[in-house]
Amino acid sequence: MKQKSMVSRREFIRNTSIAGGGLIIGLHLLESCVGEVIVNPKFKDPLPLSENVFHQDGATSITDFLQIRSDGSIFVALTKYEMGQGVSTGLSAIIAEELEADWSKINIRYAEPIKDVANITGGSTSILSHWDLMRKAGAFAKSLLMATAAKEWSVYVDQCLAQKSVVQLLGTKKTLGYGQLAEKVVVPENYRELFDKVPLKYRSKFNLIGNRLKSKIIPDIVLGKHPYSIDLKIPGLKYAAIARCPVFMGSLKNYDDSAAINIRGVEKVVPIKGVVIDEATHVRDGIAVIANSTWAAFKGKEALVAEWDLGEKKNINPERFEKECYQLLEKEEGRQILVDEVVHEVTDYDDTISHTYEFPYQHHACMEPLNATAQYHVDSCEIWVGTQSSDKVIGNVEKHFGIPKENVKVHCHPSGGGFGLRYSSAYALEALMVSEAAGGDLVKMCYSREDDIKFDYLNPFELNKHTIQIKEGRIIGWNLKNVMDNWGGLSAWLYYDVPNRSANEIKVKGFTQMGAWRSVMANAEGFSTECFIDEVALALNRDPLEFRLSMLPANKMLTVNHRFKCNLGRLRGALLLAARKANWGVELSSGSGKGIAAYPYMHGNGYGAAVTDVSIKDGTISVDKVTLAIDCGLVVNPDLVIQQMEGGIIWAISAIFYGGTDYKDGSVQRSNFHDNKVLRINEIPEIEVHICENDEPKPWGVGEIAGPVTYASVCNAIYAATGKRIRKLPIDKELKLRENG
Amino acid sequence: MRIHVNDKDYEGDFDPNMPILWVLRDVLGFTGTKYGCGKGLCGACTILVDDQPVRSCSVPVGFAEGKRIHTIEGLENTPYRSLQMAWIKEQVPQCGYCQSGQLMNAVGLLKTNPNPTENEILDAMQGNICRCGTYPRIIKALKTVIENKEA
Repeated sequence: MKQKSMVSRREFIRNTSIAGGGLIIGLHLLESCVGEVIVNPKFKDPLPLSENVFHQDGATSITDFLQIRSDGSIFVALTKYEMGQGVSTGLSAIIAEELEADWSKINIRYAEPIKDVANITGGSTSILSHWDLMRKAGAFAKSLLMATAAKEWSVYVDQCLAQKSVVQLLGTKKTLGYGQLAEKVVVPENYRELFDKVPLKYRSKFNLIGNRLKSKIIPDIVLGKHPYSIDLKIPGLKYAAIARCPVFMGSLKNYDDSAAINIRGVEKVVPIKGVVIDEATHVRDGIAVIANSTWAAFKGKEALVAEWDLGEKKNINPERFEKECYQLLEKEEGRQILVDEVVHEVTDYDDTISHTYEFPYQHHACMEPLNATAQYHVDSCEIWVGTQSSDKVIGNVEKHFGIPKENVKVHCHPSGGGFGLRYSSAYALEALMVSEAAGGDLVKMCYSREDDIKFDYLNPFELNKHTIQIKEGRIIGWNLKNVMDNWGGLSAWLYYDVPNRSANEIKVKGFTQMGAWRSVMANAEGFSTECFIDEVALALNRDPLEFRLSMLPANKMLTVNHRFKCNLGRLRGALLLAARKANWGVELSSGSGKGIAAYPYMHGNGYGAAVTDVSIKDGTISVDKVTLAIDCGLVVNPDLVIQQMEGGIIWAISAIFYGGTDYKDGSVQRSNFHDNKVLRINEIPEIEVHICENDEPKPWGVGEIAGPVTYASVCNAIYAATGKRIRKLPIDKELKLRENG
Repeated sequence: MRIHVNDKDYEGDFDPNMPILWVLRDVLGFTGTKYGCGKGLCGACTILVDDQPVRSCSVPVGFAEGKRIHTIEGLENTPYRSLQMAWIKEQVPQCGYCQSGQLMNAVGLLKTNPNPTENEILDAMQGNICRCGTYPRIIKALKTVIENKEA
């Protein structure tokens, strides 16, 4: 480790200001107020304020899930990770419903991981998996508040009524607010065992759930106050950037930091030893630069001279790799997955149709680059991070550093996007490794955008080959054969009601690390299945909607490769709604086309369908409109559902035209938003979202439904408009297939 | 060096080559302005310098000496807080990370063109990337502000 001993003037000012008790480093000493802030009297209405917090010391905890302050403010402990999907608002509404709380009093507490509650966020399962827990937590807290009020008045609990954060003694004007009662509430130690004993509300009595309640985090966002981990400010904080080995599994041989250490603001340079901890946690060998600003750390990193042993992966050539994947499809049988309960070999058929579809690597490019802050002590540590899996962060810290779990303190921040990337705990570990190597410094380690793109955990490259057998116009056998870069596993949700459904998967190891990417395996499967079914329909001279409906009986729960059965009636309902709203079947002018697609997102048991309108303008594809229908069961907040559909559609169109990656010698060649393009505001279609009416007793998944139906409906519409069949993404808007898909 | 942020002066021994973004975030503690790309490609770091939208990640702080910087933190105290109100009304943000930049860029647009057409909105806002796909609502919120402007 090299370290500078000189203290710059700025450093001196900083140190003095810390000694003086200033929280925001330097600011208090430097600031000199020269003018009053002018408030235009016309705009004096206050903007809504949130009191979202990490810690609320002045409030009474009523279980781990809630705190109530004497002024009636309620703080809901966030048991899932807020990355923009709106889960903080959704979960708060569920708890507030059963608590009979005044919605305006609800705030979010970005809580530390709660014991025995799975702190993992993904698979579109947050609302459905915490639906019962949040309801019980709310109902239980209400029962305690009511019991406390009854005791105050020396009456039976059933003489009391709780409404809008107030308990009333029935038949009187006596009331006690939750704020007045909270301090007197006694919470039994074994309260989790009592959760099941409290009665819950009937659906017909809901007054928050089902409404367009406004987001609890947007007020902070528009003020620039939302507490992303990248914005963390604590005394003594240093900033770090890491130069990582450009090729996955390569190693550091040597480095020269003499230029880096001389950069103004750079304080230390330390090497980082890479480690592979689990399938989504790979820390690469690297060199960390620690400085007094992020910018100085970035400059220092650029000035490093490193010598790497690039290892085996540098030999992976994209063209050769893809060719080998296509060959494997034909050569190998792969691991067999029986989708149907019984699968017979189909030998007696009239015809067979088979096509292969390619879904490329994809980058996340979350707007907030990966970052984490950490401080290492010998037998304990503290980490500030936005993560989809705080459990994994804690477990991997224990595994790698030998720090017992109970001594790993994790502060869970909300994030500027996650989309699956933040399942990885590598960046949290990297920050802690830097802190350890730097002798226990408190460091905020931040990826540059270039790092974020180059060292991304990519969506795997996948090939899906669908093969069906046809007899007398009906599908009598269906196989999906898949080749996938080394991550996850084939979903194999072959959800049309045809016999003998099976799948085979073949794993290959590509050039870099893979990870979850919004909709995960449903991307390639949804794209391929729905394009394929379209091709089959047209080959059989059937209308694509009518053909799909013929295989989606309304009252069937179909076995697919998932713990949930696929509810074909709900999928059918979504398909019919999308088709009706989008005027499916109306004759179009030449150069225009409509495409349709339906897909069940089984992890969340949510169902989607879309109809897309495209037209060709000056030889270029224009996606004009996407009409999407979703059946997500009981709707907690329709506006959040619509937001997720709008976002998912735009996410998918981005991937259709700009997705994929480019790599050479084992290293990602894309680096920033000029070569890893994403959709911009002037490229979006008109979007219409419809939510299916249903009687489901609980909410199902939402966030990952839009992608699969968007890819397929866009590509099917392109075929309808041009006669050109898309079997490989991404596509050029001028309809030439891109080179390095 | 002295810089002027949201109607206050800040004096310090800033490295004149350090981009305004990092002076705001790491030195002065104005973290509402976001780092997105460092190359002026995404707009997350947009601030106003003398009323012009500027990508603060790509402009050295020396450039701002003697000029007026406005960031998201000061927006509430200007007439353009109507944009923040509209962003809440239309429930625009999802993760919110790009929204400081979206809002400040929208202020810049309305300062030079108080009545933009839809195409002018798209033109002016296309430098600001959002990965959550809040674009339809950004357009809607901007239109709300334009239509409900006080005479």
